[in-house]
Amino acid sequence: MSFAPVAITGMGCICAAGGNLSDSMEALLRGERRPAPPVRFASNHPVRYPVFEAVDFEGPPDLLRTSAFALHAAREAVADAGLDRKTLGALRVGVCVGTTVGTVMSEETFCRGYLAGDVPDMGPIRRILRSNPADVIAREFDLSGPRQTVVNACSSGTDALGIAGSWIREGLCDAAIAGGADELGRITYIGFISLLITDDSPCKPFDQRRRGLNLGEGAAMLVLASERVLRRSGARPRSFLLGYGSAGDAYHLTAPRPDGAGLRGAISEALATSGVSSASVAFVNAHGTGTPDNDRVEGRVLHDMLPGVPFLSTKGYTGHTLGAAGAIEAVLTAACLEMGKIPANAGFETPDPEIGIAPVREVTTVAGTVALSESLAFGGNNSVVVLGKA
Amino acid sequence: MSGTGRIVLEGIGVVGGFGCGIADLSRSLADGNGHPGTLALSAGSGPIEFPAFRADTSLLKEFVPARTLRRIDPFSRLALLGSRLALADAGLADTGHDRLGVIVSSGYGATGITYAFLKSFIDDGDICASPTHFANSVHNSAAANISILLGARGPSLTVSQFDLSVPSALASARQWLAEGRVDRVLFGAVEELSELIGYVWYRQRGAPRSASMTPLRTEEETAIPAEGAAFLLFSRAEEARAGYCTLDAAITGSHADAGFPLPDGGLLVLGADGRRESGRRYAAVAQNARIACYTPLYGSMPAGPAFDIAAAALTLKGGRFFPSPADAARDFPATVPAGGEPFDGAQISCLTLSGIDDAYGVTTLGRLAGKEDPR
Repeated sequence: MSFAPVAITGMGCICAAGGNLSDSMEALLRGERRPAPPVRFASNHPVRYPVFEAVDFEGPPDLLRTSAFALHAAREAVADAGLDRKTLGALRVGVCVGTTVGTVMSEETFCRGYLAGDVPDMGPIRRILRSNPADVIAREFDLSGPRQTVVNACSSGTDALGIAGSWIREGLCDAAIAGGADELGRITYIGFISLLITDDSPCKPFDQRRRGLNLGEGAAMLVLASERVLRRSGARPRSFLLGYGSAGDAYHLTAPRPDGAGLRGAISEALATSGVSSASVAFVNAHGTGTPDNDRVEGRVLHDMLPGVPFLSTKGYTGHTLGAAGAIEAVLTAACLEMGKIPANAGFETPDPEIGIAPVREVTTVAGTVALSESLAFGGNNSVVVLGKA
Repeated sequence: MSGTGRIVLEGIGVVGGFGCGIADLSRSLADGNGHPGTLALSAGSGPIEFPAFRADTSLLKEFVPARTLRRIDPFSRLALLGSRLALADAGLADTGHDRLGVIVSSGYGATGITYAFLKSFIDDGDICASPTHFANSVHNSAAANISILLGARGPSLTVSQFDLSVPSALASARQWLAEGRVDRVLFGAVEELSELIGYVWYRQRGAPRSASMTPLRTEEETAIPAEGAAFLLFSRAEEARAGYCTLDAAITGSHADAGFPLPDGGLLVLGADGRRESGRRYAAVAQNARIACYTPLYGSMPAGPAFDIAAAALTLKGGRFFPSPADAARDFPATVPAGGEPFDGAQISCLTLSGIDDAYGVTTLGRLAGKEDPR
């Protein structure tokens, strides 16, 4: 079951590391990271957990911040692909976006008002209803193709990319804007703290002393193009989506399966669909949240399935951006392949004997042309994309 | 795709305001009348009560131990019951599920537990937020619970596209089977009429004025809120052990002014559900096609198109039309077939239109050819 490669002709990204892909990559390669207690919202929790906010970004007030992030990244990706509205209008273009909060009817001010017996303003609810991320992008660019908003928790962005690749291969659309977007707000912040999986210091993926994740926010979008579009536009691929795999743990709502069976299945499927052998993988951009459970399971699977392959987690620079994470990590992975180097795994100092392998500690040159980006999610989803250098 | 390339609908599991299971839905379709219950909640002005299609999940205890159910929220209960009924309907309740994919679509997700999570820290402070509520409020919790309890280790997908959630997610079910990623897909649509959603409904639309919907009377808002779950078990034809019909197409898009990709000659089941914002667009389609509409039996909810598909599948299998609501037959006498009339068409399409913009979804089901009918 080998898939035909799908061309990636444009990429866009916004996260705490930078307002676009280029700035984000430069920050990663400089080793810069700025986790800090949240400034955009307050909490009366006694501990102020650090997060990675995109503090300089302001979206329009009539859209959820999630969808504003998605739109920002989509504009960068479309421009990067050299597409204009006229060209997009002549094509059947789909939109597939992963998110965790972009469609959820949870609005604290509204709920507080209702609980207090008031008649709360419906404005926040109307904003949610008109902010479905895939719809927002489709309306902005006046697109006619399929739309899908994937809510697969933390693997949403990776799954959206895999699904959009399938649309292109099957001819459901000529091109697709695919990625993930998520904002950080009080509800998510308080929720993750309640699960006791957040670190009160900067996260340390794969380190023996890791204590949990730091949340982040942002979006990344990729333009996937069919052969027809490439011929018609003369566009040059920046990268290729070579394969995709996903498999379930069927184990627990919030904990990964200890034996990593789901992740093993996802990696196997991703490699099989790409026609790539594990020996030719240049590096892995791991999920690497910094939680004890995730990193132990993921590290052991990498130890077994991709021995000797350099790996890192970029969450030390971006935080865990949840539904956006898979997409942000995919564009960072593709950019690293282009540049032939990967950043250091921020926060890592002490190897964990329970894992048995260690991520890269410094900017590292990579020679190969293929890389993996992994996502593990609440609910037991495990998703992997294989990206190839153009 | 290997084999015939045909995808077969093997099993249906439904729970909604009409009852529980395919027999209850069939009876309701033949009867042609909806029987909503009520939803009671508090509004700023005091307690209110209005017609609503409520779903009873008590049958779930026949499939899932009571001890396990204590930790399962109402949204996941709906999903678990629908999914178990679909597997049982296909005769696959007790088989292994290693190559089973799970797809859940929902416009609003697990709103009851989400509201409970917010309430936990609004009432008692951020430090008292409930981790259990938070874990269950994640949008894919229903799909996860299905996979965990079935031991299904195939891919899992949850889609939230408001009105277009069902047709959008169905396209992915087709893709998974076409690509050979799974042998079967347990596909479902779930909507929970929580207190929060009920209140939002009330604020947006006011209380329904009648206990019956007239969805093609576009000058009136006649929608009645609903909850329920409709699960459909799909497989490649060569894997199928039983079948209602084939899944021929699941297309979504926008720019409906350019025309819908509708099949010739068949029946079109309209997802019109009494909401004014999409009613006129449905009525325009109704002028030019042979139509049916069954939403008055299960109400207005983003999961509704999956019930439309179940009704269409039963029509294809039974070979007779079910009656559409009285207003449809009255207002569109030339295009609405009478209940009981034989249906020998090859295909039925289900049309879903967005209430927010010009997006549409068309799902097309086909009659099983005699030699293809696995039974």
